[in-house]
Amino acid sequence: MKVKLWGTRGSIPAPGPETIRYGGNTSCVGVTLSDGSMLALDAGTGIRCLGLAQPDEPARLHILLTHLHLDHIQGLVFFAPAFRPQTEIVIWGPASSEASLRDRIARYISAPLSPVEVRELPCDVSFRHCPESEWEIGSARIRSASVSHRGPTLGYRIDDGDSSLAYIPDHEPALGADLDELEEDWISGFALAKDASLLIHDGQYTDAEYPDHVGWGHSATSHALSFARRTGAERTVLFHHDPLHSDEQLDGLAVEAREQWVALGGDPATLELAAERAEYELPARAPSALV
Amino acid sequence: MSFVTQRPLELILARNLMSALSTPAFLVDEGGLLVFYNEAAGMLLGKRFEELGTVGPQEWGSLFGPFDESGEPIPYDELPLVRAVRAGRPAHAELTVRSTDGTQHEVEVSAFPILTAHGSQGAIAVFWPSLRNGNGAQPA
Repeated sequence: MKVKLWGTRGSIPAPGPETIRYGGNTSCVGVTLSDGSMLALDAGTGIRCLGLAQPDEPARLHILLTHLHLDHIQGLVFFAPAFRPQTEIVIWGPASSEASLRDRIARYISAPLSPVEVRELPCDVSFRHCPESEWEIGSARIRSASVSHRGPTLGYRIDDGDSSLAYIPDHEPALGADLDELEEDWISGFALAKDASLLIHDGQYTDAEYPDHVGWGHSATSHALSFARRTGAERTVLFHHDPLHSDEQLDGLAVEAREQWVALGGDPATLELAAERAEYELPARAPSALV
Repeated sequence: MSFVTQRPLELILARNLMSALSTPAFLVDEGGLLVFYNEAAGMLLGKRFEELGTVGPQEWGSLFGPFDESGEPIPYDELPLVRAVRAGRPAHAELTVRSTDGTQHEVEVSAFPILTAHGSQGAIAVFWPSLRNGNGAQPA
């Protein structure tokens, strides 16, 4: 399984000279399974470049949405494969008692917010609510679970062979909870991340910023690290950077995070901050960074 | 693949909220298993949840009552929490619970089900001191 980060930013795109290295595009992770199947985790603005990198040939692509906040769907109408008639796209996402996934996404892909409507997309697109039980896509088994965020929000676990990816980009597991004390089955998202080869997890706020953002649905650095430690993930990538955080600030945050990680007993080489275009290959049990 | 079991998010969030309340509150899962009560409930019962742990419905009934106005044990099926989780409807009752030191507490109980897109996940019960006798505690 190969993983590539196409958008690492949270909330709103943050392009500019201050964010070149960590990136300004919002959430999107490309996953190439061992059988060649292609998944996109979320469709923030990062999915535009993922789409441009796809060959112009018949293909079946799966987009797994964690939730429908704009920073996770904004790139959908700029995803080049969606405008190719020979492409089949399956969009997975959280169910809601209020409306179908298609109808909720159509609120964005429709006038006046979008120049095209869902029905006008040339590709063969379908929408599916994530089932409660695991399901298969290509060579992978997929599992989703509701996680602590604002509104219906999922995290994902993708198992392909012996390697596993946990993707929980918007997550506040420490809201009203002590992650160091709670039993593991009472920790939001725990089962998704347990012993994952690679955990991509919300790390939007510094510990100093978090008190002003309690309940906003995101993690402070220390919360993300506690979650990673409890779950035993082999490698952790802090993701969904706050749009106000410059490369320079994120460099400093990376140093602080590694110090905290070491204090928790972690190996500093197993923790990093998400950087746009970073790639990971997840072989059997020991993932290694390519870039 | 991970086979770790996970509580439904709605129960996790309910427990987190209850942990921050000073009102005694109890949480059962969809099967009626008592899976959490908060510190205030622990003070009422004389035993912290961490000391008791998860217990089945018959067991916690025998530990703490509850009793009706005449002092008779209330059948399990008639407890507000059980009615809420089984019928998916709110339930309210006045009853007496007995703490570990023998003190009896007259309380009003409001229970409501936790209904989600995936069906009922359990129920929450909140205890209030009964106004019937002016306060919520009587010696045994």
